[in-house]
Amino acid sequence: MKVLVINAGSSSLKYQLYNMEDESVLASGRVERIGMDSSILTHEPAGKPEVKSVSEILEHTTAVRRVLDLLTDAKHGVISRVDEIHAIGHRVVHGGESFKQSALVTSEVKAEIRKLFDLAPLHNPAHMMGILAVEENLPDVPQVVVFDTAFHQSMPKQSYLYAIPMVLYRRHKVRRYGFHGTSHAYVSQQAADFLNKPLTSLNMVSCHIGNGASCTAIKEGKSFDTSMGMTPLEGLMMGTRSGDLDPAVVPYVMNKEDLSVSEVNSMLNKHSGLQAISGLSSDMREITDAMNDGDKNAKLAFDMYTYRIRKYIGAYAAAMNGLDTIIFTAGVGENSVVIRKAVCEGLTFLGVELDDARNSERSKETRRISTDNSRITVLVVPTNEELLIARDTYAIIRESSDYN
Amino acid sequence: MTVRKAGVIGIGTMGQGIAEMLASKGLDVYLLDQSEDKLEAGITQIELSLDKQIEKWALTQSEKKQVMNRLHRMNRIDDLAQCEFVIETITEDLEAKKQIFEELDRVCGPEVVLASNTSTLSLTELASVTIRPDRVIGTHFVYPVYKIDLVEIVRGLQTSDETFERTKQFIEVVTNKKGVMVFESPGFVTTRLICLFINEALHVLEEGVASVDDIDSAMRIGYSFQYGPFEMADRFGLDAVLAALERMFREYGELKYRPSIVLKKMVRAGHLGAKSGIGFFKYDKDGDRT
Repeated sequence: MKVLVINAGSSSLKYQLYNMEDESVLASGRVERIGMDSSILTHEPAGKPEVKSVSEILEHTTAVRRVLDLLTDAKHGVISRVDEIHAIGHRVVHGGESFKQSALVTSEVKAEIRKLFDLAPLHNPAHMMGILAVEENLPDVPQVVVFDTAFHQSMPKQSYLYAIPMVLYRRHKVRRYGFHGTSHAYVSQQAADFLNKPLTSLNMVSCHIGNGASCTAIKEGKSFDTSMGMTPLEGLMMGTRSGDLDPAVVPYVMNKEDLSVSEVNSMLNKHSGLQAISGLSSDMREITDAMNDGDKNAKLAFDMYTYRIRKYIGAYAAAMNGLDTIIFTAGVGENSVVIRKAVCEGLTFLGVELDDARNSERSKETRRISTDNSRITVLVVPTNEELLIARDTYAIIRESSDYN
Repeated sequence: MTVRKAGVIGIGTMGQGIAEMLASKGLDVYLLDQSEDKLEAGITQIELSLDKQIEKWALTQSEKKQVMNRLHRMNRIDDLAQCEFVIETITEDLEAKKQIFEELDRVCGPEVVLASNTSTLSLTELASVTIRPDRVIGTHFVYPVYKIDLVEIVRGLQTSDETFERTKQFIEVVTNKKGVMVFESPGFVTTRLICLFINEALHVLEEGVASVDDIDSAMRIGYSFQYGPFEMADRFGLDAVLAALERMFREYGELKYRPSIVLKKMVRAGHLGAKSGIGFFKYDKDGDRT
């Protein structure tokens, strides 16, 4: 059975085709600049050379059509007929409170995703375009939606409510949702497998540190608390996002600098974080290089960034009244030796003992970077959100009565 | 039909604002002006405006680059044939506008909406020079365009329902602004009401009822205006306020539109408001009050 995973953005569409018998990737690629006359389609079939083409792709339906053409292409393709694709799995950022797990796409599900446009105005409408585009091209193929927020729906009220008038929760669903759920779910399962222990026996904190960053307290296999909130702005310091700050700063600055709502939103989301403190870059690699060259602002940005991560790990250890495992994942978490070292060095009181040699090793595999005696196990687990989307899609399609 | 390519003719203050706003919304914008120099000057102003927004954290450098890349310089009106929506925003010169609409009507496909940003001239008269007057309409944007989410959609006598619907859809869906329908009439709704407001403030000042500062504070704080009537007039340009009042005075023939003597005197002295550095208040070159 083959599953096509799609991540649709407003002007882009990424895809991966999986063979679920061995979970191998048959092909992956992306369409960029949808809506323009010079859209770029990059197709990477496994074991064959990459194909790149520039053409006019005005909307998502055409984008999906082109992707299907390439997947079945005599020369660059990896399957011979479109009907070899048994199901499509879509990444959807916001599932609100309606979706506690992945779901088969029905008209009710689509209506529900539309209702959530307000909560994720940049993402959900684009995902919907992806779903409709697949429907146009493959009307008979079942589709599944996998939500970034679903994993965090297990959080208790004490974690997800904000201490503001309850009417705002009832009326507008203002609460913590959390993001990167697919990644936190995937790496926590991988970690349990690696440690050869049942997921339910572990208290973990997973640190998804990429362009966006979030920490999740995973208690007995379930999300107990997470650092991102109603939007992905809350929590850790990020490349260009501020993370936590006193909410009173917002009206104060708006008043002092005569800023509009959209200006202050843009300030906190695009002009803050590493970029703002270093004055150099939002990319951790560049920050680290500049710091090593003696740049004081880069050093400050680095210190603030790692301090926040440490604070969250400490807070979550207290929140769960115990901690067995810390997981680092995503771009920075998987690759930055110095970030992991800086975070772990301040956690010795918890019993974290980092093994410098293990930490310095580069690998694509799940690995332990703490010493064998460390009271808390520290792991690096490469994330793979697409694979989890494919797995969920596969599982739901097999369960659903339509598939035999 | 979704609009992806829009034409803007005349890249003065309003043209710059409209072009910048459309490009920020992701449209490819095709620009035309009388000369290459004027076109370049207009584009330079757009770049300055984007830089100012970066200072206010509204935009990032890479977003600015994308916006600038969507602005395309054109030489001839024929180059606008590829556009799906065209907005004319040259100076308020009826004959010049007529010539542009005549040419646009010739080069643009029949489904293209031809819009004018005029705030004073008759659309019905502009439309009269075209073969298809039903697709001529007014889109009166309010300055500053990127900030004010309102457009008066002006129907001339022959503007069709279809043209109106397409324009409303364009304004509300593509530019994300509220479109209100108004029928052709001097000053429409916005200019007519706000100019009377400013003119009455001038009378209050002339009568010695209150000072410039206190009148502005009273209305700004008392009724939640962003600016009081005098600073508002300074920002519109006192010459523009005077011209609008004079035109409405002529068209309606009612005394309430007669421009205040103080206003006339200030315009004669070249005290035009923010753009000349002095009006009722003083301004620096960025247009901030000093």
